[in-house]
This record gives sequence, structure tokens and C-alpha cells, in this order.
Amino acid sequence: MTLLSALIGLLLVEGTAAIGAGIAVLTGAGSGIGEGYLVGKALEGMARNPEMAGKLRTNMILGCALAETTGIYGLLIAILIMFL
Amino acid sequence: MILGSFDNFFKFDFEYFTGENITSLIVMGLIILLSIVIYFVFRKKNPRSVIKGFTMIICLIVEKIDGMVLDLMGKKYKKFGGYALGLTLYIGLSFFVGLLGLPGPMTSLCNTLSIGLCTFVLIHANAVKANHWGYFKRYIEPSPIMLPINLLSMWAPLLSISLRIFGNALSGFTLMGIIYWALGGVSNSIFGSFVGYGWSSVILPPFITAILHAYFDVFSGAIQTLIFLMLTMIQIAQEDPEPELA
Repeated sequence: MTLLSALIGLLLVEGTAAIGAGIAVLTGAGSGIGEGYLVGKALEGMARNPEMAGKLRTNMILGCALAETTGIYGLLIAILIMFL
Repeated sequence: MILGSFDNFFKFDFEYFTGENITSLIVMGLIILLSIVIYFVFRKKNPRSVIKGFTMIICLIVEKIDGMVLDLMGKKYKKFGGYALGLTLYIGLSFFVGLLGLPGPMTSLCNTLSIGLCTFVLIHANAVKANHWGYFKRYIEPSPIMLPINLLSMWAPLLSISLRIFGNALSGFTLMGIIYWALGGVSNSIFGSFVGYGWSSVILPPFITAILHAYFDVFSGAIQTLIFLMLTMIQIAQEDPEPELA
């Protein structure tokens, strides 16, 4: 009986940890929306002003890396929950 | 007793001296060696001669970093070129170490927190230097009731700057680990009967993970280095901006 309850407890911990990791990774949705907005605006600017395309592209990549920070925080928490 | 007592605080324990720390020391040694070599190469040079090859690459890198410092921080902060170049070399090489299959120093929080702490101390030292006693006014800015919240939010830049680079490196490292493990299993089941089950897991992965190494180590590392550098410069300079930049 105690063995069974211990097993159930272990499974519950594993399962809830997995659910928590899944919820933490949902932060990627926000950063995805932000990055899409950013790239769309940058493309608009490039279409209007093609001479500036190179400078806009570097700044866009920098902005993308900054915008994906929140997504990375979520992924980091998920990895810490699952593997450590 | 999870955190341990102070008896063990000063004892050097190899259990906590992990691979990340060793590769971090290797990277630091490489940078020191490189700077000594560069010093002796440049001492023999005639300043009027045409530069080419190795010396030209070094000149280009130094000029690029100095130009960046001048653009983002202004003429007053010209001395920060050395700090910026050291930071660039350390973070960049730390990411490139992953190409050799070694654990990158940036996958350990103590390394990223250390470089974050350097930047954090510089930011506040510069703020004190610029504003003198007015520096402490920011903690009671709307009203003295906000003091605890302001004291907590003081640490936010440190956490954000160090966790950004740590998360990026660790997520890349973990994803690569998962892909290596999965491809090793596939490779085992394909080639296992030919060459035996120990060695067969290393046949397939190198052909597929090379492109992922190019993304996670080289591209992501370069971008994160640039972001760390830019954030450091902007946050240090915003305490006491140049008149024409503000």
C-alpha cells in the first residue's frame, strides 16, 4: 500500500512538473507576436526605402534577439524544471 | 543544510569545479596569450608601414569596437574600449568553444552572473561618479514609500542581462544534447549490426548537427555578444550622457 502511494506520488510529481514546463514555454507566444510585428514593420521600411535595407536588417536582427528574450526566459524555466 | 555552512565556504572542492569552469579558464588563458602575442607582434612593427594579414585583422577589430563605443557612449567614455573588447573576446570565444564539443562557459550561471556583475558595478559606479549624492535620490523618487520596491528593482538589470545570455546558451546546449541523443539512437539501429553497438552511435549525428552548431554556437553567439555589448554600453552611458547625444 505504501509502495503504491509512493509510486502515485512520484508519478504526480513528474506529471505536474511536465505540465508546469509546458505552461512556462507558452511565453514563446508573446515573443512570437512581438517578433512578427517587428519583422513586418522592418519589411515595410525596407520596401519604402531600399537604400537603407542593410542597416535595417542588422537592426531588425538585433531587435529580434532582444524580443525573444522573454521566450528564452520561459524556455529556461522549462529546461530547469524538466532536467534539473 | 542545503546551502551549506560557512565552514566549507573557503574550502576548494573539486566537486563544484565543473567542466564549464575549466573551459572558462581555458578561454581566459587563450585571451591572455593572444594579447601577449599581439603586444610583441605590434612592438616590432613600423607604424608607417602598410598593414596586412594578422595585424590588419586586429586593427579592424579594435577600430570597430572603438567606433562602437564612440557612437553609443560618446567621446567622454573612450576608455571603455578596452573593457568592451575584453568582453567581446570572452563571450564570443565562450560560445565558439561549443564547436569543439566542450561545455561552453556560458552554460553555467556563475560565469554569466560574473560578467553581469562587472557591468552592474560599472553602471552604479558611473552613476555615483556623475551624480555624487544625487545618486541616492532615485530610490525615493516618487515618494519614500517606494523605497523597498526601488531597492528590489535595482537588481533587475543584473538578472535580465545575465539570464538572457545564460538562457540562450543553455537552451542551445540542451537542444543539441537532445538531438545528439536521438540521432545516436537512430544511428545505433541502422549501423549497429555492422560495427557493434558502442561505436555505431557516432556515425550519423555529425552529418546533421553541423548546421545546428552553426546556428546555436556561431550565429546565436555572435548576436548575443553584440546585444550584451550594446546593452552594457547604453546602460553605462545613460547615467551621464554626452550633451550632443542626449
